[in-house]
Amino acid sequence: MTDFIKDPVILMPERHPEPVFSTEELVFTAEETRQIATWVSQYPTADGAIMKVLWMAQEKFGFLPPEVIRLSAGALGMPYARAFGVATFYTQYFKSKKGRYVLDVCTCFSCQICGGYDMLHYLEEKLGAHAGETTDDGLFTIQEVECLGACGSAPMLQITNGPYVMNLTEEKIDALIDALKRDQLPFFSSVTLPQDEDDLGGNRRTDVRDTLTYSAPPVAKTLG
Amino acid sequence: MPTVTIDNQEFEFEGNPILLQFCLDHDIELPHFCYHPAMSAPANCRQCLVEIGTPEIDRGTGEPRLDEDGNPVIRFFPKMMTGCSEDISDGMVVKTHRSSELVREAQKDNLEFLLINHPLDCPICDQAGNCPLQIQAYKYGPEGSRFEFRKVSKPKHIELGPRVVLDAERCINCTRCTRFTTEISESHQLTIIERSVWNYPMTPPGVDFDEPYSMNVIDICPVGALTSKDFRFKARVWEMSSTPSITIGNAKGSNCFYWVKDNLVQKVTPRTNMEVNEYWLPDEDRLDYDVFNENRPEGPTIAGQSASWDDAKTAAADLLKNVDANGIVFLGSAFACVEDNYLLGELASALGAAAPSYIQHIEPGAGDGWLITDDKTPNASGCERLGIRPLDATLLRSRIQGGDVKLLYVLQDDPVAAGICEAADLAGVSVILHHTNTTNETLVAANVALPAATVVETVGTFVNQDGHAQRVWPSKAIRGVNRTLSMEIGKSRADKHGTPFDRWFDEDHLVDCQPGWVVIPEIADLLDIELRFKGPRDIMLKVSSENEAFGGATYDAMAEPGVRLVDVGAEV
Ligand code: SF4
Ligand code: FES
Ligand code: FES
Repeated sequence: MTDFIKDPVILMPERHPEPVFSTEELVFTAEETRQIATWVSQYPTADGAIMKVLWMAQEKFGFLPPEVIRLSAGALGMPYARAFGVATFYTQYFKSKKGRYVLDVCTCFSCQICGGYDMLHYLEEKLGAHAGETTDDGLFTIQEVECLGACGSAPMLQITNGPYVMNLTEEKIDALIDALKRDQLPFFSSVTLPQDEDDLGGNRRTDVRDTLTYSAPPVAKTLG
Repeated sequence: MPTVTIDNQEFEFEGNPILLQFCLDHDIELPHFCYHPAMSAPANCRQCLVEIGTPEIDRGTGEPRLDEDGNPVIRFFPKMMTGCSEDISDGMVVKTHRSSELVREAQKDNLEFLLINHPLDCPICDQAGNCPLQIQAYKYGPEGSRFEFRKVSKPKHIELGPRVVLDAERCINCTRCTRFTTEISESHQLTIIERSVWNYPMTPPGVDFDEPYSMNVIDICPVGALTSKDFRFKARVWEMSSTPSITIGNAKGSNCFYWVKDNLVQKVTPRTNMEVNEYWLPDEDRLDYDVFNENRPEGPTIAGQSASWDDAKTAAADLLKNVDANGIVFLGSAFACVEDNYLLGELASALGAAAPSYIQHIEPGAGDGWLITDDKTPNASGCERLGIRPLDATLLRSRIQGGDVKLLYVLQDDPVAAGICEAADLAGVSVILHHTNTTNETLVAANVALPAATVVETVGTFVNQDGHAQRVWPSKAIRGVNRTLSMEIGKSRADKHGTPFDRWFDEDHLVDCQPGWVVIPEIADLLDIELRFKGPRDIMLKVSSENEAFGGATYDAMAEPGVRLVDVGAEV
C-alpha cells in the first residue's frame, strides 16, 4: 500500500490471456459435481453457491485463472462475468499462481497502528520479495491485505487462507519462516482478547497465558 | 388518498412510488447518479440522500400519536436515507436539500468523495457539457477538495468492444452499465472487477463487449467513463443541435435525437418513448447516419446532366404525359414517409395508372424480437395502410424484359440494387427516380433524377411495425428555401439552426434535395392534376380523416410520442 500511495497506478489486466489449463483438465469430477449440487440446494438461487464452488476449484487447481472461473460459473449456470467479479473482489481467491505458502500480512487500521507495515517490510526484506511477489524458490508469496478480523491481536498475518499468526514480532516471523521451510504449519489458534478471564466466568480460551497480549502490546515503530 | 409531505409541501400519491422518482416526476430535482428508472436500485452512489420521517404510531391504539396541536408526531430516521431505495408511505415527511442543511452538507461531502479520484479532465472529455457529474458537482458540490494525495490512475482509452471505449478513471462505480448488461440486454458481458479504489467495470478475460445494444451504456453512464468509439472527440455537445426524430434502419421506428453540426449528422442517441423503444437504441440504429452525410446528390439531373429543379420537373411531367397509363409503373417506398407515398398513389390514380407497390427489404432472422426487426425499412406498415402492396418482383422483371413497361417512377428506392432488374434492362424504359444518395444503382438508368430529402431533412409520418404512427422534424437544412421546412426547423430546434441568423449557420454540406411532398404536387400541377396541399400537415389531416387505418394520426395528435393506430390485421 505504501508504494501504491506514492504511485497509485492501476494497470490494465490482460484481456485475452492464454489459458493455463487444457479443456481435458477443466472438468469437475462426479463427486465434485455432487458436492456442488448439495451446496446449490442450500441457497435460494444456484449462484449463491459460487463462493464455495470457487473455493473448491481453487483447492483443486491451485489457483483461479479465467478458465477455471468460467468453469465454476458454468457449473452453476450463472454468468461468467459475475463469477469473475466475485473472484476478483476477494484477495483470498488467487487469480494467479502463488508460492507454496501465501503470507497475507494485514496492514489495515489496527494492524497498521500496531506495526503491520514494520512486519510487512521485515518480511519483504527477509524473503527478498515485495508484497504481491513470489520468492524465486517458489516457496513464499507475500500479500498485503485488509482487516482479517483479528485486530485484537494486531499485527497479524495469515498463512494461505489458513492459520493466523498473531501478535507478530520479528522473532516470530523468523521462527515462522524457519518452520515453514521445514513444512511445519503452525496450529490454528483463534483470537485472544485482553479481558479479565474472571469477568467472563471462565469462558475463555486456555492459551491466553501463552500470548504476549498483556505484557507487550506491539506498537508501530513510526508511532514511537 | 394517501399523502406525503416533501419540503413542507403536501402531495397526494397512488400506488407505491419510489421517493426519488416521485420527486423527479414532480419537478423536484434530487441529485442522483446510480438510479435509473428501468433498472434495480442498488443505492450505491449515495447522492440522493434525504431526511425521512414517518408518523409515530401508538402501539396501544394503532393510531398515529398527536402532539398538543393535534398534528401527528413525526419520527425521523436517525440517519439520512437514499431516496432511490425508499417507497413513499402515507404521512411520510421528507426533507430534501431544499429545506435541510444536513442534506445539503451530505450532498456536498458525497460529491467531494466521488471526485477524490476523478481526473477532472472535463476539457478533453466528450461528456463535458452534458455530464450529470459535472452538472451536479457544480450545483451541489464543494468549492474544492481536501484530498492532497496523488489521484489513482486507472486504465484509459480501453476498447471494451468494437464500439465502446472505457476511461476507468472517470468511473464512479454507479454500476448502471453492468446492470444494463445484466438486467436489460442480458448479455452479461460487463462486471465490476476488483475492489475499493481498484475497481472499475470490465469484461471478464476472453470476452469483448460486442453485444448489439452495447452503446446504450454510453448514454446511461452518468460520467464520461464510457464513450463512443465512433463519436469520440468529434464535437462538443454545445456545438450541435439535437432534433427529436426516429431511426429508419428498421421497422421499429425507435425514437432518437439527431445531433447535427455544420449540417452534418454527428451522432444518434435514444429518445425516451415508453410506447416504442423505452430508453434504448440498438447500435445499428446509431451508426448508419453516413447515409445522411455522404454521397448525397448535388441537385437534379436530366439524362445524367445537371439541371434546374424547374427543368427536371417539367421533364418528368413530359415523360408522364407521353406514355400510355398502362405502361407506367409506380414504385412507392417503405423508406419514404406516408405523405410522399400518399401523393404518389394519388398521382397514379389521377393518371389512370395501376396503384403503386413497394419493394420489401426483409432480412429473415435479422430481428431479435426487441428493437431490431427483420424488416429493414421504416415505413412498410405506412405503405400497407395506404393500400400500397409489396411488389411482385418476378412479375415486374418479366414485364420490364418483355417491353411492357414504358415508364418506371421510383420513389426513394433502388430496384437495381434490390435485384429486380439490371440497369441495362431499363434501357428502353423511361425512369423517374427520387433518390437520396448517389450510390443508388438505378441512377445510371434514370432519365430524370430528383434528389429526395432524407428523414433528417423532411417533415413526414412513419408507421412502425406495431402500427405506431410518428412524425419527424427536419434536423438539418437543405439548399433552397421551403417555408414549411423553415418553420418546422425553427420549431424543432431552439438554436434556429439553418437560418442565416444562427451563429452556427454554415453554407457547407447543404444538400440540394427536396421532399416528395414538394416535388410530386408540382409535377402533378404541370399535368393539370389537382394535388395541392398547404404542406404535409394538411396531407395528414386528409389522410387521417379519409383512411380509417390512419384514424387520429394528425400532426397535432402525433406530436412527439406518436399515435398508436388501429390494428388493421396482419402487419408486415
Ligand atoms: S462506467 Fe459509467 S455507468 Fe459504468 S459504473 Fe462507471 S460511472 Fe457507472
Ligand atoms: S486490522 Fe489487521 S486484523 Fe483487523
Ligand atoms: S441514486 Fe440513490 S444512491 Fe444512487
